[in-house]
Amino acid sequence: MDLSLVLHIMVAAVAAGTPFVFAALGELVTEKSGVLNLGVEGMMLVGAITGFIAMAKSGSLLLAVVSGMAAGAAMAAVFGVLTLTLMANQVASGLALTIFGMGLSAFLGLDYTSFALPGVAELHLPLLSDLPVIGPLLFSYDVLVYSSVVLFVAVSWFLYKTRAGLLLRGIGEAPESAHALGYNVIGIRYLAVLFGGAMAGLGGVYLSVAYTPVWVEGMVAGRGWVSLALVVFATWRPLRVMAGAYLFGGITIAQFHVQGFGIEIPSQLLSMLPYIATIIVLVVISRDQQTIRLNSPASLGKTYHPENQ
Amino acid sequence: MKSLFGLLIPLCAVLLALVMGAVMLFTLGADPLSGYATMFGAAFGSIEGFSETAVKSIPLLLVGVGICIAFRANVINIGGEGQMVMGALLATTVALLFPGVPSLVLIPMVLLAGAVGGAFWGAIAGALKAWFNVSEILSTIMLNIVAVQFMNFLLRGILIDPAEVARGTGIPQTMRLSPNADLPILIEGMRMHLGVVIALLVAVGAYMLLWRTSMGFRLRAVGYNPDAARYAGISVPKNVTAALAFSGAMAGIAGAILVFGSESHRMVTDGGSTGFTGSAGFNGIVVALLAGLHPIWSIPSALLFGGMLVGANALQRVAQVPSALIIALNGLIVVFVVSSEYFKKRYMESGRVDVESDAEETEEVKNG
Amino acid sequence: MKSMTQHVVAGLVCLACLAAFSLSAVAGDKLKVGFVYVSPVGDAGWTYQHDQGRQIMEKNLAGQVETKFIESVPEGAEAERVIRDLAKSGYDLIFTTSFGYMNPTLKVAKMFPGKYFEHSTGYKTAKNLGTYMCRYYEGRYLAGIVAGKMTKSNTLGYVAAFPIPEVIRGINAYTLGAKSVNPDIKVKVIWVNSWFDPGKEREAAEALITQGADVITHHTDSTAPVLTAEEKGVYAIAYHSDMSKYGPKAQLTAVTHNYGDIYTKIAKSVLDKSWKSEAIWNGIKEGAIKLEGMNAAVPGDVVALVEKTRKGIAEGSIHPFQGPVKDQSGKVVVAAGKSMSDKELLGMNYYVEGVQGNIPK
Repeated sequence: MDLSLVLHIMVAAVAAGTPFVFAALGELVTEKSGVLNLGVEGMMLVGAITGFIAMAKSGSLLLAVVSGMAAGAAMAAVFGVLTLTLMANQVASGLALTIFGMGLSAFLGLDYTSFALPGVAELHLPLLSDLPVIGPLLFSYDVLVYSSVVLFVAVSWFLYKTRAGLLLRGIGEAPESAHALGYNVIGIRYLAVLFGGAMAGLGGVYLSVAYTPVWVEGMVAGRGWVSLALVVFATWRPLRVMAGAYLFGGITIAQFHVQGFGIEIPSQLLSMLPYIATIIVLVVISRDQQTIRLNSPASLGKTYHPENQ
Repeated sequence: MKSLFGLLIPLCAVLLALVMGAVMLFTLGADPLSGYATMFGAAFGSIEGFSETAVKSIPLLLVGVGICIAFRANVINIGGEGQMVMGALLATTVALLFPGVPSLVLIPMVLLAGAVGGAFWGAIAGALKAWFNVSEILSTIMLNIVAVQFMNFLLRGILIDPAEVARGTGIPQTMRLSPNADLPILIEGMRMHLGVVIALLVAVGAYMLLWRTSMGFRLRAVGYNPDAARYAGISVPKNVTAALAFSGAMAGIAGAILVFGSESHRMVTDGGSTGFTGSAGFNGIVVALLAGLHPIWSIPSALLFGGMLVGANALQRVAQVPSALIIALNGLIVVFVVSSEYFKKRYMESGRVDVESDAEETEEVKNG
Repeated sequence: MKSMTQHVVAGLVCLACLAAFSLSAVAGDKLKVGFVYVSPVGDAGWTYQHDQGRQIMEKNLAGQVETKFIESVPEGAEAERVIRDLAKSGYDLIFTTSFGYMNPTLKVAKMFPGKYFEHSTGYKTAKNLGTYMCRYYEGRYLAGIVAGKMTKSNTLGYVAAFPIPEVIRGINAYTLGAKSVNPDIKVKVIWVNSWFDPGKEREAAEALITQGADVITHHTDSTAPVLTAEEKGVYAIAYHSDMSKYGPKAQLTAVTHNYGDIYTKIAKSVLDKSWKSEAIWNGIKEGAIKLEGMNAAVPGDVVALVEKTRKGIAEGSIHPFQGPVKDQSGKVVVAAGKSMSDKELLGMNYYVEGVQGNIPK
């Protein structure tokens, strides 16, 4: 394989990995606050169709992004009400959210099935984009890909460099202590859940408006679930989330190239590859319970009743 | 009092969802009342409609019962789709290998093979959770996709109908499986077949397993409080694996019934999972949640969802209302059911219900 | 508790009566024609083309027919119920438009001997069940000529769904068409194992472009390959529908299938009671296969050559699989001076010379 091909695969991997970056970073923040939201797939779908409709109606990318994020957050708000206010089980509520999101998005998207949008143009940066190797690798994407990187930096900075981030992580570790110190645990968790929803919605918008850009029922096609896996894979660290997302994107892209070169592996087995790889990585990571225990928020997935404390 | 209350809450949740659905119907320009009349009329209004509903409910009930077992053991099985596929594949293989065996033996054989195939696929996720600490939520999802591609691989490869190869059409399907494995039709001229009885028996069996055997006690103990269970000498890893294996077995039987109760009596793939399972692997979760994770209550719950799916087509034909509405409605029902847990708890805490005797009925999914 | 159950039952019975009444109320003296679709109609693609055909038929036979369609019907058990439902509720002619409906359609046809059924792409017929499909490969051959003339890298990319003869036939015809004007052509194929997955189709198209393909075509259902070609600045040949609005620069032409005439003819034959069970396989001659949306960038001499070949195919003087045709190993599969029979076409399971890689098992 020559260098330019490797370069192409890497560029394609970044684009393919970007929806995971959005959704998994959002879920990371939600989980850091101690809430496990399994509804990522549903939130991505609703975000995807809402953003798609906004784009189709207005032609404005900004409007598509804003409405997709709002829709994702609205879905997350339903989850918040269920788990934080009504203290329903988080796992069951997350599943409910996904099933609801599948139906709702299919319903909303009825008039838009297999409609296509013009897509989002790559951002051409003078000088930078024309550099050899570095130009295509770093400066050949659309604006949404760059915003995913900005959001990554913002999330990392927020979690590890700000007081608010410290508080969020503290609530994930020990909600009782945070409550005892006078912090509004439920309120902050609401914010984290809403943020997670907005990011999942944005991941959906990227898929439907920039990546494919077509609306098809169920088009998120399991990416929400993979995002959840990526958070565990990354042991709750933003940088590893990024790396994992691009790695997954890379494996997905590479299997098509393997076929294009006529290498003799049944294509069905190649299609399994990214998922088998994910299971293996999960085994390697999770086997060491120490790492998981050290990194995962201690109160993750546990319902918290402030009035009982 | 207790049973009335247990019934009332899910009923309210369903009614609320139907009211929301009526609003959606209205926005589509359809008359909600006649829409629902069409829907439920088609599903329950005639013996023939009910027969269709019953057939549609079989996989929902079986997967749902499996979900009850898994969730009771605090194991979240989202792998119903893959387990159905693997069960069907193994059952199909057995039917291909032993076509001459008489019905009385072959039918139990293929059902057992379905159970084994599904159990094996579930047990993989169980073992990964038990001994490698891998979240079963994630592994079952990944295994779904692997199973579907495996099905495509086999149905295009060694399991393909030789006639398809000879004719050159290469459709990924098996040959017409041995008629000895056909599930007998229960009522002449309708599609209701033995699978309905099997599903009901499995539901009762699952109830017995959970509440009448020591195995069931251990599963529930592990689900209720793993630390206490461990302290009592119950092996948590073994029971987690067992819970997923049982759960997978039920889904595997559902897969086998889909093959041997189908009108073509062969296994066909369209490349995805829903083409084969009709999403029963996911919808079964909804069935179990509405049933409060109780195998017996899963029966009416499965009939409701099965009926809605059957009615959806009639709704589309008469009012040209898209079937996506029904999926959204399913989702709404779960959302309301999950939120109703709160009111149930509130009601219990107010002391008007004997909490202890009710605990088994309302015990919810424990955190993952 | 008991009284409540009784109320529920009574309510359900009422609902059922209502439903039965509303069903019987709509019967008229028009021919009621039902269509069963595998996916939503949408804006382009397989089901869209069938629905266009339905609308044309409705227009041609205005006042004589009444049509209704049920979309997103999964293949298998679900399909049987939907088809039977249509037959039971007064539809006399029913079109089922996906391969997987073959067995359910056959079964329902046997149950309703007085009604007429037509199944698309299948190979089983019965007294009251006919089949119909299009000779897509004829259009593919023409598209291959355009691609062969327009490529600069001599590498064509093909995004394909599943390795079944229908798809392989298209790949081979396309390759032969391209080779007829450009002997150096190579065709690269990527299988996505899905009829409809825009994400995968896009990724496959991108991989092909990266590997040097400068004309992309697809045998999948979404517009994603054409959109990708447009974005990457290469050419595309669309399939099913004219997708020029999705790739105004990219789309060289589109191979489309058109069912209006077939549907009109069949419905007419039912109306005047001349219907008989046949296996219709229409192509360019009958206008079922067309090239649409020819790009202005295609030079006039290429357009003229395509038109000449089209006429030849329509008259029968040109056959896309005209000997000598060699498979990948160089073995002659159609001898010089002969052309391939329909039976051989239907069972095609090898690549012709010029296609790279092997057919996955």
